[in-house]
Amino acid sequence: MKKGMIIIAGILFLSSVMLLSVHSQEDVTEVDRSVFTNPQRPAAVFKHDAHNQNAGIENCNECHHVYEDGKLLEDESSEDQRCADCHGPEADGNKPSLVKAFHVNCKGCHEKQQKAPILCGECHVR
Amino acid sequence: MNDIYQFVSGPLAWVAFILFIGGSLYRVIAMIAEVKKKEPFIFTYMSLKYSLRSILHWITPFATYNWRRKPVLTVVTFAFHICLFVSPIFLLAHVTLWDESWNIRWWTLPDGSADIMTLIVMASCVFFLVRRLTQREVQFVTFVSDYIILGIVAAPFITGFLAYHQWFGYPILMILHVLAGEVMLVAIPFTRLSHMLFSPFTRAYMGSEFGVIRKSKDY
Ligand code: HEC
Ligand code: HEC
Ligand code: HEC
Ligand code: HEC
Ligand code: HEM
Repeated sequence: MKKGMIIIAGILFLSSVMLLSVHSQEDVTEVDRSVFTNPQRPAAVFKHDAHNQNAGIENCNECHHVYEDGKLLEDESSEDQRCADCHGPEADGNKPSLVKAFHVNCKGCHEKQQKAPILCGECHVR
Repeated sequence: MNDIYQFVSGPLAWVAFILFIGGSLYRVIAMIAEVKKKEPFIFTYMSLKYSLRSILHWITPFATYNWRRKPVLTVVTFAFHICLFVSPIFLLAHVTLWDESWNIRWWTLPDGSADIMTLIVMASCVFFLVRRLTQREVQFVTFVSDYIILGIVAAPFITGFLAYHQWFGYPILMILHVLAGEVMLVAIPFTRLSHMLFSPFTRAYMGSEFGVIRKSKDY
């Protein structure tokens, strides 16, 4: 009984140390997720500038896009706005909900790559 | 790793779902055809009222003599079956994938609740295993295949649980989890897991026979 308690306490202690060390890595940048009031997953990892440099994405509007009457405007971009400014919690016609907008945007490109993350836990790292 | 995951969660998932749905339809239709050929008189006394009476009693905890006789087994059996169905169907991760592929979504469990239900399924599997190993009355009717079936059911939950918590090699566990889930789906129509498909029919038949012919209860 006592041995068991010591082992459990040890496991709890170790796992909290591991949790703390993961969450104190300063260079990890995440998408701002304050719009999700009751988040179910750890914040998705996304180091904006480094990511886009590694991935060799030239056009900001790969992600920060602008649509007019359902047509993508090739040479306009919306980096002054947040995804949440246009994408609400529910889908609206062709416009996906915010969560799905992120997933389709990020995963949609990653699925065509060999090394980019496509599993929940590869972006929502614990 | 990406291509392996995309293969198991793409083409292989199609194969698994086609075998699961096609196999289930085949088994049920074949069963009804067989009854029609060999014992068609059964249809003369099938009764909706007594069918439902039997099914409702048997899906209510402690509503049958058998359920009252073994209270612990009954509680575990109900907890197991409820969690077995509810957690994968309403799992946020699963619904997210349905939504992304098919644009359909439905209500989801909070991840914390799904996690607890997964633990309940795993604990129930341990309970059933220990029962099979220790209780003489079940030992007599236990075959190797019973352990294999228990393993097939436990595997998607164990691997899913480990993957969710990202313990031990996440991407590999995720691939194993999808494979385990597919094995379980395919096993449903083609092993004794088919009681999932047949138990409503068995109860309807028993309920009607007892209600209409023997004028008594089957619970
Ligand atoms: C390519 C990266 C990526 C992958 C893979 C991914 N997500 Fe996300 N997810 C995001 C981003 C980015 C957001 C929005 C910012 C945030 O919440 O961190 C998000 C948000 C969410 C949210 C809403 C916020 C919350 O925590 O409640 C949920 C739920 C979610 N994801 C679940 C999943 C599930 C389940 C999977 C696997 C089926 C998954 N995600 C796979 C990037 C990803
Ligand atoms: C791979 C997708 C992607 C690309 C490409 C991209 N961004 Fe972003 N960017 C994002 C996401 C996601 C956010 C977070 C949006 C939110 O919080 O709603 C963001 C946020 C921003 C922000 C506001 C947040 C901050 O950093 O203060 C700016 C400014 C920005 N991006 C500029 C740019 C510029 C300029 C480019 C082109 C050189 C670019 N982005 C390319 C995905 C991208
Ligand atoms: C200025 C408003 C606006 C902003 C800001 C915006 N979107 Fe959109 N988005 C739209 C509209 C409108 C549509 C619907 C397009 C259509 O009609 O097909 C859309 C569609 C999408 C789609 C589905 C079509 C496609 O391109 O694959 C995704 C995914 C998406 N947005 C992701 C994002 C992400 C991620 C961000 C933030 C980096 C973002 N959006 C920012 C307006 C916006
Ligand atoms: C247009 C394509 C594209 C889009 C859109 C995109 N990514 Fe990526 N991403 C890549 C590529 C390519 C890599 C692999 C880079 C490499 O080889 O290191 C990558 C890698 C990553 C990685 C692994 C670590 C790293 O930074 O290299 C993370 C995490 C990631 N992406 C998150 C996201 C998130 C979150 C989004 C959505 C907000 C997103 N990505 C949108 C192309 C994209
Ligand atoms: C009958 C079959 C299946 C069962 C019983 C099952 C069950 C589970 C369980 C229990 C979890 C973990 C939940 C938790 O601990 O909180 C899980 C997670 C998951 N499952 Fe399944 N699953 C099945 C089939 C599948 C299939 C076929 C796929 C994919 C095509 C899949 C994809 C996933 C994903 C992506 C996760 C999330 C992992 C994470 O969060 O990192 N599952 N599943």
